[in-house]
Amino acid sequence: MGFATYIAKRLVVAVLLIFVAATLNFAIVHLAPGGPDAVLLNNPRMSPEARASILKSFGLDKPLYEQYALYVIGLITGNWGTSYFFLTPSYMVIAQRIPATLALMIPSLTLTIVIGIGIGVLASRKPFSFADRFLSSFSFFFYAMPAFWLGFVLLTFFSLFLGVLPASGMASVTSTKFQLADYLHHLILPMTTLTLVNLANFSLLMRSSLIEVLEQNYITTARGKGLTEHLIFYRHALRNALLPTVTMVGLFVGFILTGAILTETVFSWPGLGLLTFDSIFRRDYPIILGLFFMFSVMIIFSNLITDIIYGLLDPRITYG
Amino acid sequence: MACWTRESPMDERKETKQTVFSRAAKFLKLYSRDRSAIFGLIFLATLILAASFAFVLYPVDPEKPELASTLFPPSVVHPLGTDYIGRDQLMLIIYGARPSLIIAFAAGAILSLLGTLTGLAAGYFGGKVDGAIMRTADIFLTIPTLPLVLLVVAVLGPNLINVMLVIGLTGWPVMTRIVRSDTLSLMKRDFIEIERVMGAGIRRILFKHLLPNQLNSILVYTSLSIPVVILTEAGLEFLGLAPISVSWGFMLNTSISYWIIGAWWLSFFPGLAIFSTALAFYFVSEGLKAALNPKQRRRQESLVVQLAERK
Repeated sequence: MGFATYIAKRLVVAVLLIFVAATLNFAIVHLAPGGPDAVLLNNPRMSPEARASILKSFGLDKPLYEQYALYVIGLITGNWGTSYFFLTPSYMVIAQRIPATLALMIPSLTLTIVIGIGIGVLASRKPFSFADRFLSSFSFFFYAMPAFWLGFVLLTFFSLFLGVLPASGMASVTSTKFQLADYLHHLILPMTTLTLVNLANFSLLMRSSLIEVLEQNYITTARGKGLTEHLIFYRHALRNALLPTVTMVGLFVGFILTGAILTETVFSWPGLGLLTFDSIFRRDYPIILGLFFMFSVMIIFSNLITDIIYGLLDPRITYG
Repeated sequence: MACWTRESPMDERKETKQTVFSRAAKFLKLYSRDRSAIFGLIFLATLILAASFAFVLYPVDPEKPELASTLFPPSVVHPLGTDYIGRDQLMLIIYGARPSLIIAFAAGAILSLLGTLTGLAAGYFGGKVDGAIMRTADIFLTIPTLPLVLLVVAVLGPNLINVMLVIGLTGWPVMTRIVRSDTLSLMKRDFIEIERVMGAGIRRILFKHLLPNQLNSILVYTSLSIPVVILTEAGLEFLGLAPISVSWGFMLNTSISYWIIGAWWLSFFPGLAIFSTALAFYFVSEGLKAALNPKQRRRQESLVVQLAERK
C-alpha cells in the first residue's frame, strides 16, 4: 500500500473523529436541563407566541434529527451560532483569537521539545546517576504543578517584585502596531510557564526510550565494530529513540492546549484560553461550544500530522 | 486433581504459609524503603484528618465574610493571611481540601471501575468486543479532556456529582489499556488454560483469577491517576466552574484581581496546596508500585508508561 493511500486513510479517520466531537457537542447541549433553549427562553413573562418565534428563528422547533443535520451543515459552512455576548457569529469571534494562541503555543511547544530532549539525553548518558535523578526530578516536580499557579508565582515575582517583565497581554498598551521585541518581551513569562509544566512529558519519555535503545543488539554490534561512544550515542541511539518521542508530539499538543487555556487566563493573553474563561463567566454557550469544537479539531489534526511525519521518519513502517 | 486445578498465583502465595500479618509487614517494609512515599502518606493522612474535622478546628461558617480583617498578610494570628473578604486562608484551605479530596477519590474510583470492566471484557472476549471497546477508548483519548470537561460542566451546571462523573467518564481509557494488556498476558498462562479445559465458567475465570491477579496494578494506576484528577478539577475551579465555592481552585480564581496590589498570599497558598497534594499522591503511588509490583522497581518510569499507554 502506498503512502498516499495511508494518508487518505488517516484523513478519513480524522474526519470521522471530528464528526464524533461535533456529535458530542450536540448531545451535551440537548442533554442540558431544559435543552438548548433554556438560556434563551429564561423569561417567565414571555408569551407563548414569542417563545415559538424564538424557537423557530433558531430552528429549535424542527425534529431532533433535522436539527442535528442542520447543526453539522452549519459547522462545515462556518455557521456556529451567534454569540450571546458579542452578538456576532461565534465562528468569527473564535477565528480572531486563533493567531494569539498559536503565537504562544508554537514557541512553547518548540522550546519544550528541544529542552525536553536535551534533558532526556543528559539524563540517559549515565542512568540512575546523580545528574539523572536531579534532572528527572526537576521535570517531574513541575509536572505536578498547576500551570495557572506557576504562572501566578512567576508573575508575582518577575512583574510585581522585580518589575522586569510585563504582566499581561501580548503587546504594550502604548504600541499601535505589531512589534517583534515587544511581543517577545510579553511572551517570556507565559512561554516559560507552559514549557516548565510540560517538560516532563518529553524529558522522561526521551530518557526511557534512550535507555531502552541503548540496550538493543545493534548498539552492541556498533560497539563491537569499534565505533566511538559519541558516534554510537548520537548517530545510532538518539535517532532511533527520537521516534517514540515524535509520536507523542501529537498527543502533547492536547496537553499544551490545556495548559494554554489556563496560562492565557493568568497572563491575559488574548487567545482562545482567555476567551474560554471569559465565555464561561458570561455564560456564552455558543462560544463555549465552538471552542470545544475548535480544540478538538486542533488536536485531531496535530495527531494526523504526527502520524504522517512518523510514517516519513521510520523506514520500517509499511502502510498497512 | 481438583486440588491443583484451583492453583493460581494468588493461592500459591497463601500456601507458602504467609499470613495476612506477614504480608502486611512485607508490604510496609517495601513501601517504607521510599522516603518520599512515607512523606506523601503522612501529608495525605494529615490533610484528610484536618479536612474531616475542619469544623472542630475552625467552628465557623467558611462562607461568612469578616470585613474587619480584609487582605491581611501572613501573621501569627493568620499564618497564611486573609482573603479579600477577610476570611482566614488557613481555614479556607482546610475546608477547601474537601471538594478536592472527595472528587479525587470518587472520580478515581469511577475511572478505575470503568477501566477495569472494559479492559477485562476487551481482553477476555477479544474479537469484535475488543475492537469496539478499544476504538471507543481511542476516541476518548483523542478528544481533549479539559475542554470536554469544561463544556459539560458549563452546560450541565457545576455540581459535585457532575464534576466527578465527567472527570471519571473521560479518564477511563488509560486504565482500560492497562487492564486489557494484563488480561491478555494472563490468559496465556497455564492455570487459566487448565481452568478453561476443566470447564470453568466465565464468572469464575474473570473474578476468581483475572481480577484478583491484577488488583495490585489496578490499585497502583488508580493512585497514579488521582493527581491528574486533582489538577483537572483545580483547573475547572480556577476557570470559574467550582461546585463548592470554598475550594482551592476557586480561591485562585478570585485572587486573579488581587495580585496587582501585592497580595501574593491569596494565590500562593491555595496553589501550593493543590501542588503538594498532587505531588503527595504521586509519591504514594510510587511507593505502592514499589511495594506491590516489586519486580518493576524502576522509578519515575510509571508516568511515562502511563503516557505511552495512552497512544
